[in-house]
Amino acid sequence: MAKFGKKDGKKAPGINTSSLPDIVFMLLFFFMVATTTKEVDPLVKIQPASGIGLTDLTPFKQRSEVDFVYLGPPIKGDASLFEKGIAVQYDGIIHKDGIGYIGKWKTDKLASKPAEFTAPKEEVITCFKADETVPMGMIFEAREILGDLNFNSIGYGATEKGNVKSYNIRVQ
Amino acid sequence: MAKREAPEINAGSMADIAFLLLIFFLVTTTMDKDVAYLRKIPKKVEVEKSDPVEKKNIYKISINSRQVIQARDSIIRPEDIEDLNGRIKHFYLINRDKKTNRKLDYPYYAFGTKDLYMQKLAEANTRLDNYEKQDASKDPKIEKYIEQTLNEIAEWNKKVKIIEMYTQYSGKKEMPEIALQAHVRLESFIDTDYSAYVAVQSEVEKAVAELRDQEAEDLFGISYTAMRTYYQQNMLEDKPRVKEYREKMDLIELLFPLRLIEVKPKR
Repeated sequence: MAKFGKKDGKKAPGINTSSLPDIVFMLLFFFMVATTTKEVDPLVKIQPASGIGLTDLTPFKQRSEVDFVYLGPPIKGDASLFEKGIAVQYDGIIHKDGIGYIGKWKTDKLASKPAEFTAPKEEVITCFKADETVPMGMIFEAREILGDLNFNSIGYGATEKGNVKSYNIRVQ
Repeated sequence: MAKREAPEINAGSMADIAFLLLIFFLVTTTMDKDVAYLRKIPKKVEVEKSDPVEKKNIYKISINSRQVIQARDSIIRPEDIEDLNGRIKHFYLINRDKKTNRKLDYPYYAFGTKDLYMQKLAEANTRLDNYEKQDASKDPKIEKYIEQTLNEIAEWNKKVKIIEMYTQYSGKKEMPEIALQAHVRLESFIDTDYSAYVAVQSEVEKAVAELRDQEAEDLFGISYTAMRTYYQQNMLEDKPRVKEYREKMDLIELLFPLRLIEVKPKR
């Protein structure tokens, strides 16, 4: 007959934690595979526009065939210093010439690509990641400059909106 | 001296190290993918004055600085923007498969046959022969003409292949082709919001994607979007399926071309 009495003087056995590192490593590897590194630290505030049927840029990024330009109100500092309150961020810096610098930046960027990079310059995408309030005039200014320099591929960055949500458009 | 056993390494802090790495990766990476609408800026070419595009071939959408959209003659308020894709589909489909009784202010369809394309190909070939017989030194334009004709021949060759494929999968001998000039024209103001512009782009993309998916499902049993995703991920590899999908996509893109003209804002 088993006895269910209280055993005096014996402590509960400690939990074996020797497999804890395995579990944590598993999580680590999951995150390493499932995420991508951040391009740059954002210096401008971007509330992205939304849309359906967007193209995934991951394969283009892997071939480094895409460059990102960020447009939006600056996080730090006075927005009124910039044309229409919109700062333009190229890689890690906000350039004072705003959108007018895009031509020089693209040219430098193309020159600094590795030697094995073979895609023609017409196919290197310039992707605008713009805040939803950015006026289209700026984008078209950039288009004009890029067109003159034969950088013919552009991308309008946005987020996938799904079928239920509606577009977030400013109603005035 | 007696041999001492090597002491075991304490692995208790392994978990801490792994946590540290984990947290580092959590902080420096992002989950969201970069997605965008890819568009081309048209190349600058010298063109001799071309005929004006007929009004029926233009689907004009303009967005003003208060995000109110005008599509042809109707005004669409920002909250009703989701109607737009249905309207664009209507623009594409209304005259499809119709030879008579067509709506007058929508683009017409032409019906291509293999014989017709072969005939055009033969015509282009004869023209090429004629140009090559002429002396290029007399007329500097000849070289340009030859180049143009060669492009044309390549184009017709491609079309002959495409129609063979169309006949093979659909059993039809005639392929409906929307008028070459038919396009969506997107106009904006200088201070139109980016979000409104992207929303319209999204509606255009959605309309065309749905038309293409439907057609691809009917013909090949696989959606156009699925083929495109596969193609973009594997385009640099030499797999037979990449080539097969490219050909199928060419056919679908010919049946439902996305011709979007983005007009530079004037005010």
